[in-house]
Amino acid sequence: MNNKDINAVVHIAVEAGRIILENGGETYRVEDTINRICTAFGVRRAESFVTPTGIMMSVTTIDGNTISMVKRIQVRTVNLEKICKVNELSRNISKYVDSIEEINKILEEIDYTPRYSNKKTIFYSALAAGFFTLIMGGSFQDFFMALITGFFIKSASIYLKNLQISEFFINIVGGALAMLISLILNQIGLVANFNELVIGSIMLLVPGLAITNAIRDTIAGDLVSGLARAIEAFLVAIGIAIGSGMILGFWISTFGGVS
Amino acid sequence: MLLETLYSMLATLGFAIIFNIRGKNILFAALGGGIAWFSYLFFQKINFSITAANFMASIIIAIYSEVMARVNKAPVTVYVICSLIPLVPGGGMYYTMFESITGSLDKALKLGVETLSSAGALATGVLLISSISRLITQAKQKRKSC
Repeated sequence: MNNKDINAVVHIAVEAGRIILENGGETYRVEDTINRICTAFGVRRAESFVTPTGIMMSVTTIDGNTISMVKRIQVRTVNLEKICKVNELSRNISKYVDSIEEINKILEEIDYTPRYSNKKTIFYSALAAGFFTLIMGGSFQDFFMALITGFFIKSASIYLKNLQISEFFINIVGGALAMLISLILNQIGLVANFNELVIGSIMLLVPGLAITNAIRDTIAGDLVSGLARAIEAFLVAIGIAIGSGMILGFWISTFGGVS
Repeated sequence: MLLETLYSMLATLGFAIIFNIRGKNILFAALGGGIAWFSYLFFQKINFSITAANFMASIIIAIYSEVMARVNKAPVTVYVICSLIPLVPGGGMYYTMFESITGSLDKALKLGVETLSSAGALATGVLLISSISRLITQAKQKRKSC
């Protein structure tokens, strides 16, 4: 295998890793995928170091040259379908060993996997908020109110995400919106169980993914990533509390309490 | 209780769409959410504390997710992330914030510790099961190579 081919392999491996990491995969899955692709192409000495914000990998060729690549990860969203697809590709990588171009094409296709449309996402978020309100002990009246808050929270967070504003700020705004809309609806007299409504709405923002990945990274021995993600989860929770607390404090000091 | 399980399934279904899961995996993820909430309520009913019920529920959904991942050949995260969502202590977070805003710090502290221990219980449950499943896979690989 000549140097040019090895270069291409490194690029493919890092690209596959990037897709997994950007869409909410665990650290060990990224390293595993990179190693699997390298092994399939007969590249023996491949090392990678992955954190939630970047991938570093290097490969030593048979004649002693070292090729390395650093990939910075800027965006992090959740798109589990892409992870499924890359995972499937890396399981069957030996089928495609002959043509690097084909793998490149498949990876490109995976990267362009469409999300559900914004309308659909917002609709289902509203539903999720509604049903969480019901689970927490709200009535059907609260269910419909939660549909409204859920709609506004998700629309706002999609809008802010497109402006590439930091996750922390989005959560502050989300928490503030959940509280503000619930307070207004409550003031009008449309809400039966105020607390349950707010809880159901902020469930849309809770850091479920960060918690799960923090645990899974820690077990796999990726302590740096595990700690980073645990802090991410904690920051999300703090952000929600700051946002909703700010509005609630302001409301109580102006109107003298929640009716 | 069954009705609440159904609600939990539907809420998790919403999250499956938000996380962009496609195909039949949506149904399995939603089912996981239902199982999570059902077992949480069940263990509370037989007098487990909230933290212990969280722990048991997270163990059950972790097992469910590991099995489903093997059956469908999909990453475990697809199922764990969605099923875990109903158990995340959003209520605890909210009440902690509420009490600290209204000025009753001792209550806020108590609720805060409760919330943290619930989240810790969730984490420990998933941790336990994934460690065991890792052990099993490694044991299998060793047997193959012998």
